[in-house]
Amino acid sequence: MIVADPKPFLQVKGYVEDFEKVLVVGCGTCTTVCLSGGEAEVQILASGLRIAFGKDGRPKTILEDCVQRQCDVEFVLPILSRVESEGIDAVVSLACGVGVNFLADRLGKTPIFPGLDTTFYGAGMQPGLWAEMCAGCGSCIIACTGGICPVARCSKHLLNGPCGGSEKGRCEVDPANIECVWQLIYDRLKRLGRLDDLRNLLPAKDWSTAADGGVRRTIREQLYDIK
Amino acid sequence: MAMDKSSPASLQVLTAGALPTCSAACPVHTDTREYVQRISRGDYEGALDVLLEVNPFPSVCGRICHHPCESQCRRTAIDQAVSLRMLKRFVVENTREYRIARRRKAVVKSDKTAAVIGAGPSGLTAAMDLALRGYRVRVYEKDTRLGGMLAHAIPRYRLPAEALAEDIEDILATGIEVHSGCCVGVDISFEELKKENDAILIAVGLSESHSLPIPGTGSKGVFLGVTFLWDVANGLYPQLGERVLVIGGGNVAIDIARAAKRLGPSKKVSMACLENREEMPAWKWEIEEGEEEGIEILNSWGPKAIVEKDGAVAGVALRRCSSVFDDQHRFSPVYDESVTTRIEVDSVIFAIGQKANLDFLTHTPVAVSGGRLLCDRESMATSERGVFACGEVVSGPGSAIQAVATGHEAAKVVSHYLETGEILKLPHRKIQSIGELPAATAALARRFERIGVDLADPAERIKDFSPIEPGYSEEEALSESRRCLACATGAHLEFPNHCAGCLTCVRICPFGVAQVRRMAFMPARQCQTCGLCAAECPAFAIDVWRFPTSAVKKALRAIVSGLDLEKVARPFLVSFCCLNGTTGRKYLREQPGEEIRDSGVLRVIVPCVGRLSMVDLLRPFELGADRVAVISCPEDGCYYPRVEEWLGRRIKRTRKYLDQIGVGADKLQLFKMDGGGDESWPRIWEEFRAVNMETPVTN
Repeated sequence: MIVADPKPFLQVKGYVEDFEKVLVVGCGTCTTVCLSGGEAEVQILASGLRIAFGKDGRPKTILEDCVQRQCDVEFVLPILSRVESEGIDAVVSLACGVGVNFLADRLGKTPIFPGLDTTFYGAGMQPGLWAEMCAGCGSCIIACTGGICPVARCSKHLLNGPCGGSEKGRCEVDPANIECVWQLIYDRLKRLGRLDDLRNLLPAKDWSTAADGGVRRTIREQLYDIK
Repeated sequence: MAMDKSSPASLQVLTAGALPTCSAACPVHTDTREYVQRISRGDYEGALDVLLEVNPFPSVCGRICHHPCESQCRRTAIDQAVSLRMLKRFVVENTREYRIARRRKAVVKSDKTAAVIGAGPSGLTAAMDLALRGYRVRVYEKDTRLGGMLAHAIPRYRLPAEALAEDIEDILATGIEVHSGCCVGVDISFEELKKENDAILIAVGLSESHSLPIPGTGSKGVFLGVTFLWDVANGLYPQLGERVLVIGGGNVAIDIARAAKRLGPSKKVSMACLENREEMPAWKWEIEEGEEEGIEILNSWGPKAIVEKDGAVAGVALRRCSSVFDDQHRFSPVYDESVTTRIEVDSVIFAIGQKANLDFLTHTPVAVSGGRLLCDRESMATSERGVFACGEVVSGPGSAIQAVATGHEAAKVVSHYLETGEILKLPHRKIQSIGELPAATAALARRFERIGVDLADPAERIKDFSPIEPGYSEEEALSESRRCLACATGAHLEFPNHCAGCLTCVRICPFGVAQVRRMAFMPARQCQTCGLCAAECPAFAIDVWRFPTSAVKKALRAIVSGLDLEKVARPFLVSFCCLNGTTGRKYLREQPGEEIRDSGVLRVIVPCVGRLSMVDLLRPFELGADRVAVISCPEDGCYYPRVEEWLGRRIKRTRKYLDQIGVGADKLQLFKMDGGGDESWPRIWEEFRAVNMETPVTN
């Protein structure tokens, strides 16, 4: 799941200062689950904007909507037509950066602003806490590390750890909150009876799958380019 | 403003047509949950409407019903049943004027007439139903007073005459024609009745007591139970002597014993019955109350002979009853003749069962066999066309509310006959109940003691026939009504396509009820209606029947839109108050706009403020409020566990947000009641409005 955090209210308010009719759009998938961009947060932000602009003596029309996903055409079409038909001046998206981009590509002359700061691909560790689990590097190596990713979860992204900053299983960067992922990998491989795997040093990673060569794309032949 | 309208019909969809256990257990299926919820919202009139919908005898039932609803109340899994009978009594005692005002005379729409013989609960219910269906109805009652056994056999200390009169006056207001003091077979013949009416309903009940074929029953001082009770009810106190033995172990026997005690507190009143203590058919609480009054109960004894001396009772010879029922639980007493005893008494009263007086049917075509009226149970039809029967004459001894239930059914079959000339076989309807509250859910619920009332002191109450049980005060009734779990009116997924399966509901539910099976799922039979999941759902996909999520928004808009905000006293305070804190209905009534304008306080009553979402807390500011107060129950007073913690967190977040948006955190405050809401709310409003607050500068 993609995790995102609400932007500071005044930053969002600043984005839309110059517009009269603003639509706040939530996303019903990842950002709903991480409690930052679902129907409830849409209403909270919209209500806050109405109150704040009202207090400034500059009341604006703040509209609300929420779609199932902002990263698929079928789901965003109603938003596009609403913007068109209702004469909306600006859109605030409470999706991750993907949704904001996806809408921006399709919104013509209507500006769109992010209401969230997209942070990572993460998992719910406990109610109200999410942690990064994957960096989307495009070339997964975790078959060698017991299913635990050092790229995403090591503060230094070390492929052959741990470093000297690992103490009692904690990472020196923030011992209270971060576990040393290489300790986790060691413990896991030990449980699996595969400690010997650690003798095989991981070769330097080919980062071309992560960032090189421009925008990454994925194609599924079974559905792609059907005429 | 209590905004808690639920729709019982649509609620049954949640449980696939199954009724709450209380309603399922009630012979007339009173919508118990609904009337109790109406009481809790201060809508006593609405509660009476619910009661009268199915039961024309709510005043009687409020006093003497054996309350199967309570026996089946799901709250027993947590602590004790909700005191439903007392709540019913509270409603009728506090809606008298409304009840009179709502009376309507039935409109006669048919030229068909029906005669009802017997004005007991069954006959009168049927008569009223038939009148409401548009028929002309004549009721024939051999006594001068209406009510049957209710009027004559239930002692006044349990059922005051006024309570019965309330119900009967209500029924008569429909326009039923009553011929009291008119004994069919004596004052008017059955044939004549048959000639004058298109249908006849026999509802004569079981008005005579059985005796026993043992020596000595003809002695002076031997009484039959029903006759005795009739005399007592009519102020004709029989001479019993100082020592009385009542034969029998049922409710009528207890009534007789307790009535006998009241004819002279110094009397020694005993009861002898075949059954052992556990087998006694009388209600447990009646036995206990009788014993408190000094009634002695001799279990497992059967009378062998009445010992007479000079033609009067001198004692009773008893023999040990070793078992009462056979393997199939049929009445089949076995005696041990080797164990006998004899007690000295001055009078004996038989209360071993009743029979019908069917003399009026002699020489009529209506078949009677062995003293019993032949009647088909399903169609309620006798052997004679157009003649039907209902109540105890058909069903055997039962409760008042069971008699009412058969009265309703009889009205259906008689009406069908009058319309079509055909016999209607009532379909056997199996009532499904939602079942017990699962133990795992019950274990997590908070316990709140049932509010009891103290019966009059036994030494005092045996002095006369004054009612022994006080009713609830308003505060007690409101408090007790809130113990109702409002079963199956809780959370449900209102917008399934919004649900992201995020698990927030699962994680927040204090009862471990919410689940996610791809989508959120709150089993209706388990949900305790706290509303926390709805308040925290990030997709706002969950709603609660008992207090819809949209209710605050709608109600606030409706009220504020009717207000001229310029004229409202400032600071304008919106106060969310917990319904469960009210001790009267002063603050439960609709708030007039004028009052809001002058006081600067708009109150929104919520059944637990824990269900207010962050948007609910922001909404008043959007609509022009200056301050928002959330007033919750006193510390540890909330009906739901963990609400205080979740509400506290939500308020903390909202206050932080109010700072960010330039309103100021201090404009939203959480208060806890100190005592009842009616006293503490105005104090909180006054103090909070008086606080001086500078509006923070934005940006």
